[in-house]
Amino acid sequence: MAIAYAYRTTGGLTDHPLKSLTDRTTGRYDTCVEETMSSNRFVIYALTAALLLGTVPARAAVSPEDRWQELDQKIRILERKLEQEKEVNDKEAAKRGIVEAGEKGFSLRSPDGSWQLKLRGYLQADGRVYLDDKQDAFTNDLLLRRVRPIIEGTLGKDYQFRIMPDFGRGKTELLDAYLQTSHWSAAQVRVGKFKPPVGLERLQSATALLFIERALPTSLVPNRDVGLQVSGEFGDGVVNYALGVFNGGVDGGSADGDRNDDKDGALRLFAHPFKNTGIAALKGLGVGVAGSYGNQVGALPFFKSAGQQTFFKYITGISADGRRWRVAPQAYWYPGPVGFLAEYVRSEQDVTNGTVTRNLANQAWQVAASWVVTGEDASFKGVKPIRVFDPKNGAWGALEVAGRYNELKVDSDAFPFFADPDSAAQKASAWAAGLNWYLSRNVKVAANYEQTTFNGGSTGGGDRETEKVLLSRVQVAY
Amino acid sequence: MVQKRLKTSLILITLALGFFVSSLAQAKDITLLNVSYDPTRELYKEYNDAFAKYWKEKTGDRVRVNQSHGGAGKQARAVIDGLEADVVTLALAYDIDAISEKTGLFPADWQKRLPHNSAPYTSTIVFLVRKGNPKGIYDWDDLVKPGVSVITPNPKTSGGARWNYLAAWGYALKKNNNDETKAREFVAAVFKNVPILDSGARGSTTTFVKRGIGDVLLAWENEAFLAVNELGPDQFEIVVPSVSILAEPPVTLVDKVAKKHGTLEVAKAYLAYLYSPVGQRIAAKNYYRPVSPEHADPVDLKRFPDVERFTIDAVFGGWQKAQKTHFADGGLFDQIYVPSR
Repeated sequence: MAIAYAYRTTGGLTDHPLKSLTDRTTGRYDTCVEETMSSNRFVIYALTAALLLGTVPARAAVSPEDRWQELDQKIRILERKLEQEKEVNDKEAAKRGIVEAGEKGFSLRSPDGSWQLKLRGYLQADGRVYLDDKQDAFTNDLLLRRVRPIIEGTLGKDYQFRIMPDFGRGKTELLDAYLQTSHWSAAQVRVGKFKPPVGLERLQSATALLFIERALPTSLVPNRDVGLQVSGEFGDGVVNYALGVFNGGVDGGSADGDRNDDKDGALRLFAHPFKNTGIAALKGLGVGVAGSYGNQVGALPFFKSAGQQTFFKYITGISADGRRWRVAPQAYWYPGPVGFLAEYVRSEQDVTNGTVTRNLANQAWQVAASWVVTGEDASFKGVKPIRVFDPKNGAWGALEVAGRYNELKVDSDAFPFFADPDSAAQKASAWAAGLNWYLSRNVKVAANYEQTTFNGGSTGGGDRETEKVLLSRVQVAY
Repeated sequence: MVQKRLKTSLILITLALGFFVSSLAQAKDITLLNVSYDPTRELYKEYNDAFAKYWKEKTGDRVRVNQSHGGAGKQARAVIDGLEADVVTLALAYDIDAISEKTGLFPADWQKRLPHNSAPYTSTIVFLVRKGNPKGIYDWDDLVKPGVSVITPNPKTSGGARWNYLAAWGYALKKNNNDETKAREFVAAVFKNVPILDSGARGSTTTFVKRGIGDVLLAWENEAFLAVNELGPDQFEIVVPSVSILAEPPVTLVDKVAKKHGTLEVAKAYLAYLYSPVGQRIAAKNYYRPVSPEHADPVDLKRFPDVERFTIDAVFGGWQKAQKTHFADGGLFDQIYVPSR
């Protein structure tokens, strides 16, 4: 025996809170479908009305009401089939990979973003003109400073990789090649070749630098090294840390392997103490300290000026022989269009000439300030112009002026047993002024003047000739 | 000297690893994926919240359960094709058997791992008709009347549709002294009155309830209750036929995926908790018949009408046989069903 249950409560279908349930289920009852259905319904009604008129005599036994119901059902079924087709098509489309192109580069990704391949890169074409080069010691030249295609990807959401070679300066070098996991924001693991977490300006992207060449403190921190790093953030990004073990590259150097069994440990703590506070002016303040420690033997560094001229190198045959440690307090502050950056680096290394071993402490520091004249926000990641360069419509991009002072002092104990005072300067002091013109997020034109004076480094105990260099750059980054 | 250097390096590496391990020792954020069939959305939405609370209290870990819903056959296909479900909660055992058979992700005897053949709740198939039952539909025979439009999903993709189909077949066998030919003619007549097939049960509910198509919807009992009580209480009625089928939607752990995700323990607990008093109560609240009704709210239990239900094993010899005979490519359904134009 059949049982019928009738449920009588108030409330209608159209305004019930769970009305969206069916919408969510099908995923297709959107405005577009409604409009399509309305237009379809109009056409179908017109056609069926014509059919109805034409077939009335043959269906005289069927009441108009029943016939109308029958036709209404047929129309609804046709509409529903269209909906089903759209749903199938939408689902198929959702499975396809998505190709994107924009100011952040080109990418291919799965619909949920778990699988991605990004093609990015940047190119820097520089010009160098040495002023007052009385001895004609330097060559004015045009060069491709950096040519770096970047391949980045995400493998199954929690694994990322990056490969970045450099073809600049007529060389081929693998700079970055690493795999990183991001299962936990507090502990992301990175393995491969990348920047050890020490120098502030070194960690800044080459595309976002305030000046064309990094300041002297960067000469005392490693460039790239092979190792393992754990990094993460706490307090919603207020505190960041990075802790790693690396082969142990020389100051300013980039290495693909190691020549001894010892490894360097590196640690960096950096905080944005006001990031989540209501003090807007201090939100862009970041302070931190970094350092490294290890025992190294073998190669030693040499130091270059902004004009990329070597002003200090050790005597041939001198080598590292023991403990090396670095410490690098650092800070930046970006209150609106103004920016400040400061860092100090002290690098100590035991060196030997085979008979004498000394611990040498080299030091460098810099302070830099900038102002985005056109009002955009300054930041550690560069400037994004509000209005991209479009002269026909009176838009000129963003303009930034900058100045800095930086010094590097070599330990006086390095002379004369480990460095030749007639060719290696003991100290370099430089000031620079710069202009950055951001035509768009992708294109930047820069001009710098930097003047470096030296203590020592010339024959007879004299000072090396002051370097006055005019640097220019056209940068394309995507 | 060499020993000193090695010692320094080891200290650094140990520090790095120690820091890494200590960060892992914090409360974990765990994500599970439950691949389920179409009408269980509301059930698992509520259940997942309850389980997350339970697991947080028990272990301190936060667990988030992502849901995937669709026709049971399509869902099983998705898992076979690589969708990494930690657990599956599908409409019928055959689809889970297919996953085990084709992927080896869990053992073939999965159904013995949890009580009641791994079915923590049951259901049945009922009719949903429009208010006032204008076409006078009271039992299976009324579905084959001329002019009656029947809405049911596609048995090729929907578990619920296969229950519908077999319920009709079982009724016809009972009525005709197990005459298979007459049963086939009866089910063919029913499907002759089906104007459109959706891929899942929820799609068919949309077709009937929201799009206003058809005179009767063959529906999961919970889906029919939901339609009446939540979507159109003044527009629909439930009709319980004289006989229907005992539907046992089973659940299982996808062992190898859960192991790979590191979620084995929480996934097992997730399924076990379905049998707990809380899980059983939530099932009944969402119109599923709990296997342990003593844990359910008596008010919820009173909503379930008495109906004679036959089992798939008794009438069709189990799901494997039923699938092969009726729903495999070239099977009886393919022979019976001719899409309407």
